[in-house]
Amino acid sequence: MPLMKKLLIVTLLLVSSISLFAQDVLVEAESFDNPGGWLVDPQFVEQMGSSYLNAHGMGKPVKNASTKVNFNKSGTYHIWVRTMNWVPGEWEAPGKFQLKVNEAVLDTVLGTRSGWGWQYAGETKINKKNETHIELVDLTGFNGRCDAIYFSTKKTTPPSSPKKLASWRQELAAEPNAPEELKTYDLVVVGGGLAGCAAAIAGAEQGLKVALIHDRPVLGGNASEEIRVHTEGIYGNFERILKKIDTKHYPNGSAESKLDQQKRDENVKSYDNIDLFLNWRAYDAISEENSVKYVDARQTFTGERKRFTAPYFVDSTGDGWIGFWAGAEFSYGRESVDTYGEYWEEHGELWSPKEADNAVMGSSVLWGSKDTDSPQSFPEVPWAMPVSKDYAEVNGEWQWEFSRNDLSQIDDAEEIRDHMLRAIYGSFSNAKKDEVNKNRKLEWVSYLVGKRESRRLVGDHIFTFNDAKVGKEFPDGVVIEKRAVDVHYQTVLEDEKNPDFISEALFYRGPQYYIPYRSLYSKNISNLFMAGRNFSCSHAGLGGPRVMLTTGQMGAAVGYAASLCKKYEVMPREIYTGYLQEYLDLIEEQKYEKIPTSKK
Amino acid sequence: MRRLAFSIFLLLTHLCEAQFGSAVAFPNSSEKTVLDKSPEFFVLNWKQGTILNRSETPMEIVVDSVGAQKVNIFRDNSDAPVLYSSNIITPVCADGDCRLMHITLYWTLLGDYAGFDRSSEEPLTKHDHDDFLFSDYWKLHELLKDHNSILKRRAIDELVTKPKPSTIEGVDALSGATIKEVKESVVSGALYSCYVAWHLVHGDIKDQIKAFTVAQQTEGMLVRMLNNENINYQMYALENLTKNQYDTNFSRISTLFKSGIPLVRSFIIKNLAESFSKEPNKMQPFWDALPYIDINTRSLLLQHINTASEATITSISGQLSMLTKNQIRDFLSHLENKSQISSEILKNLRGFADSSKEKNSYLVVQFLEDNS
Repeated sequence: MPLMKKLLIVTLLLVSSISLFAQDVLVEAESFDNPGGWLVDPQFVEQMGSSYLNAHGMGKPVKNASTKVNFNKSGTYHIWVRTMNWVPGEWEAPGKFQLKVNEAVLDTVLGTRSGWGWQYAGETKINKKNETHIELVDLTGFNGRCDAIYFSTKKTTPPSSPKKLASWRQELAAEPNAPEELKTYDLVVVGGGLAGCAAAIAGAEQGLKVALIHDRPVLGGNASEEIRVHTEGIYGNFERILKKIDTKHYPNGSAESKLDQQKRDENVKSYDNIDLFLNWRAYDAISEENSVKYVDARQTFTGERKRFTAPYFVDSTGDGWIGFWAGAEFSYGRESVDTYGEYWEEHGELWSPKEADNAVMGSSVLWGSKDTDSPQSFPEVPWAMPVSKDYAEVNGEWQWEFSRNDLSQIDDAEEIRDHMLRAIYGSFSNAKKDEVNKNRKLEWVSYLVGKRESRRLVGDHIFTFNDAKVGKEFPDGVVIEKRAVDVHYQTVLEDEKNPDFISEALFYRGPQYYIPYRSLYSKNISNLFMAGRNFSCSHAGLGGPRVMLTTGQMGAAVGYAASLCKKYEVMPREIYTGYLQEYLDLIEEQKYEKIPTSKK
Repeated sequence: MRRLAFSIFLLLTHLCEAQFGSAVAFPNSSEKTVLDKSPEFFVLNWKQGTILNRSETPMEIVVDSVGAQKVNIFRDNSDAPVLYSSNIITPVCADGDCRLMHITLYWTLLGDYAGFDRSSEEPLTKHDHDDFLFSDYWKLHELLKDHNSILKRRAIDELVTKPKPSTIEGVDALSGATIKEVKESVVSGALYSCYVAWHLVHGDIKDQIKAFTVAQQTEGMLVRMLNNENINYQMYALENLTKNQYDTNFSRISTLFKSGIPLVRSFIIKNLAESFSKEPNKMQPFWDALPYIDINTRSLLLQHINTASEATITSISGQLSMLTKNQIRDFLSHLENKSQISSEILKNLRGFADSSKEKNSYLVVQFLEDNS
């Protein structure tokens, strides 16, 4: 990159992310020039207000994050850091860090306050003539977190309540209400898991101009090298597309996932008419007359914003965010057994409860360790022990899962992830006390929470366990699956002595089953498709098709449907009511690569 | 190859029956018509002095090449059914080597695994012909207790060779960990015996036994189940008792709410939802149990906070440490809707807010700020 261009980008980043307002300067941590060993964590923006930097060092302090800031007024500045002690209690905070301003490390140890909020760090003298260097100095390697740093000549703590904080931030950044840049497409796909990738590919192959918005640097969601769950299920009608983005069969958590990551990213990027927005997270959807008009997204590092518009949108966010913001009907939790008659005597309440409740399948955080040639130390983790208790383990598979009825898999995802981190570090610490593990070191702990179930948007058909149980055939049964219906529950429900972070699976083995196209578009938001775990289903209905080849099939199915929607200028429902045969023919035709005319 | 070996085995069993002994059941001398002590491996409680008498049922278990094996019922002195059993002889074949397994299996009234007795004359053997050690029998017992074992959903050949991905009916994934799960759960060197035993215990007979019990179900039987320590008995009773019977057995039910497993507790509280508003005083034992129950049940109980007495609210305000973040939020939101908060509650809230050890104290700080 030419030097001039590089400088310009740095300047633009500074202008966009660091707001200079009289004597106030807000530095967003995720916009640091060099994050060092800190990771940008955008998973909980909707709850705590922003992406943040996370010192995920698995017990070893990470390298300093650093940035430069220009002040337009010299003077003494008070400094606040927005942070959180993620395990407050009768021990030292696990994620401690300090702030370095120019050459001085401020005395205050940060990351020690309960709940997200501003911690006063001290004061410093700033000379506007010199660039100010700021560094985050990690002290523990155990997930210290920094959202933002605020400098002010007045000693007035910035607001803490989420609502006030959002408007304060917006005001400080002088942001207009809506993003200024508008991007127009035929189809906007939000979420780049398997479903979103397949939807984008299918749409693009049919000539649609597609935007694929994804909040991570790599594609694949739970299948990505960041989370490392392999793609389970069958290919159904969409083998050709799904083989471009799936994983080979390897154990969950395997480092082999890197190879499939490369394949997936390259394949999606090979489509000229897919505009890929990696590290962009949608934060709002605006609807008019029960139709999504815009999706607004923010770059997770720089804070830059864009507005996307299209006649059709696909919600592949997993949590059903686009539908939620747009006002789509949705469900969460377990329906009562009588709602859809999903009774299964063998597992009774565990399968389908007499009364509806908030219980859902949990989220996993995968991890692993490896043996080395020399002894490896691991710090004491007293803050983890109340969760892990005496459980000892050196690797974590899919059974490492957490769900509790007072926690929402969406709104409390950070607490769920943190609970799993405590379970992992505590269990590994216990295992390390065994002489046999003295050479063992943590190799990898995901900091991303791999969800199984959250919001389910409601479509014209709600897919239930009974549809799977009897292999019900539908005229629009475009997604096919054979795997057993498999619903998880926390083993602590059966025995309080069990760790609360280990789950068990209940299987119902039935015939091949079909998911109708009518479960893949919203009942009340006319131009919204959904593909992925947020498709239209009941809790037990999700048990089978929640795995990634199945959700990938859903994605491909809606990508093709969107192309017909555009062709006839109709809404998704009308594909079922008016163009079903053509849709099914299209799905049949796409199974095979077209032979180029030159080779016929 | 295995089929061929099994055919040869069948031929041999006909030709050389004497070598294997009777192919129908245990010799009469080993059949128990009276049970005056607990089966050797047993999951239910056995009250000392219990004597159970055996009688026949029309149920049978059909074992390949051996034929039908009777399922019996054991009743107590008042003729109430207590257990089912069957003396099983079944071939176990591995890699062409077939042997007979002798075992007496027991089921609960609901068709769940209850235990087994080993045969003193014909001990179970491993693949290398070594007899089972006591620890092996114990491990088999542990395996049979697991109604959701991995053996349930795998064909035997899937357990000895790694299946191809396309044939996997996995959970989120079949992997090294799952293979490890198989190894950990079966007796080393006796996978086939374990597999056969598990599928006998948890096979079709399970539903038949339950149906047989249900056909003779009485209120007395349900009450005995409710008072039993077996979780499935408790759940079955709770599911089948009428409202009046709930009232009659309220004392036991409220005890179970405190001492039972989370699944039982949550079922009870959901079933008694109406009672919280209709008979709030009667539900006081449930509120008294709040500190002793699991988080999930606590959340379900707190949904009825509007029906709790002022004394209960005050008591909870002094025990906020036991509540999770969201439970505290719900509790504070309840307080916010009250016209007045007592001085004692406020004192408790201030104490919690001032504590540096409480991870959720900031919630109460915010609440007190907003409501000061």
